Amino acid sequence: MRRRKLLGLLAAAPAIARPAAAQGDDWNKVVEAAKKEGKLVFYTASIGSPFHKKVFDAFEKKYGIKVELLEARASEVRERVRVEQTAGRFLGDLHHNGSTTTWLMTRDGNFQPHGEIPNIKNVDPIYEPDDVKIPAEVISYSLMVNKNIVKPDDEPKSWKDLLDPKWQGKILSDDYRALGGGAVFFPVMLKAFGREFHEKLAAQKPVFSRDIQNSERRCARGEFPLYLPFNLQDLNTLKGLPVKAVVPAEGRPYVRFDISMLKNAPHANAARLFMNHYLEPESQLVFANAGYAPVVRGVVEKTLPEIRELLSTKAMGTTDPPKQDEMLALAKEIYK
Amino acid sequence: MLLYGSIHSTPPGMAGEFNLAGYRALLAADNLQALVNTVAISLVKTLLSITLAILLAWIVARTDTPGRGVLEILITLPFFIPPILTATAWAMLGNPQVGTINLAWRWLTGSDGTLIDVYSYGGIVWHMMQYSTPFIFLFVVDAFRAMDPSLEEASRMSGATRWQTFWRVTFALMLPITTSAFILSFIRGMEAFESAVFFGTPVNIKVLTTQIFDMITQRAQPDYQAATAMGFASLVLMGLLLVLQGRLLRGRSFTTVTGKAYAPNVTRLGPMRWVAFAICVAFFALTVALPVGQLFLSSFFQFFGFYQLDMLTLEHYRSVWENREFWRAFGNTMLLGFLGATATMVLGGIVAYVTTRTTWRGRRLIEVLAWLPWMMPGMVLGIGFLWGFATLPHSIPIYGTLWALLLAYMALGTPVAVRVTSGAYAQIARDIEECSRVHGANWGQTMLRILVALAWPAFAVGWVLIFFGIMRELSASILLYVPDTQVMSVVMLKMWNGGKPEDVSVVGLIMLALVLLFRWVQLRFIKRRISTL
Repeated sequence: MRRRKLLGLLAAAPAIARPAAAQGDDWNKVVEAAKKEGKLVFYTASIGSPFHKKVFDAFEKKYGIKVELLEARASEVRERVRVEQTAGRFLGDLHHNGSTTTWLMTRDGNFQPHGEIPNIKNVDPIYEPDDVKIPAEVISYSLMVNKNIVKPDDEPKSWKDLLDPKWQGKILSDDYRALGGGAVFFPVMLKAFGREFHEKLAAQKPVFSRDIQNSERRCARGEFPLYLPFNLQDLNTLKGLPVKAVVPAEGRPYVRFDISMLKNAPHANAARLFMNHYLEPESQLVFANAGYAPVVRGVVEKTLPEIRELLSTKAMGTTDPPKQDEMLALAKEIYK
Repeated sequence: MLLYGSIHSTPPGMAGEFNLAGYRALLAADNLQALVNTVAISLVKTLLSITLAILLAWIVARTDTPGRGVLEILITLPFFIPPILTATAWAMLGNPQVGTINLAWRWLTGSDGTLIDVYSYGGIVWHMMQYSTPFIFLFVVDAFRAMDPSLEEASRMSGATRWQTFWRVTFALMLPITTSAFILSFIRGMEAFESAVFFGTPVNIKVLTTQIFDMITQRAQPDYQAATAMGFASLVLMGLLLVLQGRLLRGRSFTTVTGKAYAPNVTRLGPMRWVAFAICVAFFALTVALPVGQLFLSSFFQFFGFYQLDMLTLEHYRSVWENREFWRAFGNTMLLGFLGATATMVLGGIVAYVTTRTTWRGRRLIEVLAWLPWMMPGMVLGIGFLWGFATLPHSIPIYGTLWALLLAYMALGTPVAVRVTSGAYAQIARDIEECSRVHGANWGQTMLRILVALAWPAFAVGWVLIFFGIMRELSASILLYVPDTQVMSVVMLKMWNGGKPEDVSVVGLIMLALVLLFRWVQLRFIKRRISTL
């Protein structure tokens, strides 16, 4: 039994030592080692995103390293990582998830330090990279307005305009009582306008839904004149429909996605190389043109004009991971 | 694993303590409300569906209604359409603001009221009925066909009316299969997710599965303990149902297929056959033509539900055709479907034989075990599969392979296989088997040439149900797949989340075409078998 344990430790040793060994080397050696590994396994909670696929394809083309994707919902990815690591199955290299889940998994010890990543120097400091995670892209939230129903003069100019009695029963919203865009909107508005804002919004009787894609189309079809919070990156997939994104004067709530290296990643060099690739201005421009706020400086200025205008608005606030469940409970209390 | 999860404060492999907090959480007001909602919704939809399904099955199998061969295929179609697609279609047809039906109603009557609102209890029940009616229909239609009409003739000869004969003979003989279908459908209703989350969540109607979904995926810190405890609570509830069924059927005989020759009887309805025809067509129009028409039409437009000439396109067909990931997943799913459905039916046939045709001790335990996968909500069971397979010794290479998915699908399909085959076995008299043995056939030959041969229409139905169950399964698939073993349900989720519901419609139509092909082949075989009997 003891012998088996010892053999297990010996077998795991090279994998544990791999990133540390590469740390002192220059970046070219990391690139060569990554190419030799030839493969990268990427666990992500971003399901079916065509924009991420573009960035993966560019990486494969540039370095000849195949990216294998495992996509599932945030908690499913997290549980898979936890169970696999507990069982000694170290299959994934990188983990891409919302900042709350990343925070929880960092606390649980699911990651390892990623080592030096040259492009980290370009990251906007408000997105807080550290030795375990790099910021990936930022989802920004606005209001979706049906242009056939709402005249430009009637569009809400402030988030507080949602409290106007004329919108009673006419707001479709992502649920504030569950993880997702609604759970980002709730604490940001709470911090900006206090509990009273939510009590008044609850009196407006918003209709909650948890299927974002269907909700956006319900608004586009005219079932509801307003939908919130609307992911800016979905604007691209709805081109041609009578909807527009409006960012009220106070700004846009946002939530960050992070990338971290999983503990005992089998392709640690490829993982580092990919993290660096993700922070390249070209990669970030793909996300920015899609409507995500880029995390490196100097990219917003190069985005498509209609997107640039929206992304140049003020970043209003985001979630506080340690308080997430407390916020969900408060939302349940207010929105019964 | 799941039991451990329900009584431990953290999932397997994490430090924690044993306690009953998960079970205590069930007593919270909104969980109790969800339980009441779940039972009520499932009961109502099952009762309505079973009534409708029996009527339709009787029309198709035992009357001279015109076109019943085609009707039989059409009636079963809704079962095979991915629920998210029909939900989307019904949301467009029946939303209170701009739903097509309500707009037509306002235009016709000049009122500004609402005829139907799918975001309601009624909407949830109606959407679930579109799946449970064909499901029960598939279960009972062959039992109707396999019934020796001499029993009914005897009843009529003894002076019973047509209705008395139906109720006291036909329906009574169908009790094992009907109660099995009732229980399966009720359990399915308890575990249904799409209808409730789509039509219930916007109006704050909670059911067990939406609560479990909330506990597992909608909180920063997933509450696996409460979710698994809720799974066990529903398991106990459904276990009680099975005990009830056992009591109802105990000591009664339901054999209708005996050694005597018979020909399935056809009731001549006269002019009423057109009423029967109209009922079948109305069911088809409401549950298939309307939503599938929406799907079909939408697949040619840029956006689902926006029918403008300048938005006409074949782009969605091209997109699916060129989607290599989809076709790889399609290949995996077909392989898993064929192997999974076949292996599950063999396993189910054996389990059913042991539980219905032998007197072995412990056969009741096997029967209960075969039910277990359906008594536990899919989302909880998916977690159980992940915990179970991932923690197997590394020398057993199941986790991360197609085997993990195959074994999970077999476990999930076994209850259907067992119920379908045991219902069919219950109708076959033992004397035919004994006759075979007396004439020198061994057990294997008897099994193949008598039981399998006579119960084979039921095998075919079970096979199709399991095959398409595998095509749709998501809860376990998403937790067990790896990049090389992607299956269709996972790719469809990606398409949906990636903002391509129109591509999902195209996939739905491909699935429908497959169903038509399968059902056509299956019914041709059944007819050939019946004509040789």
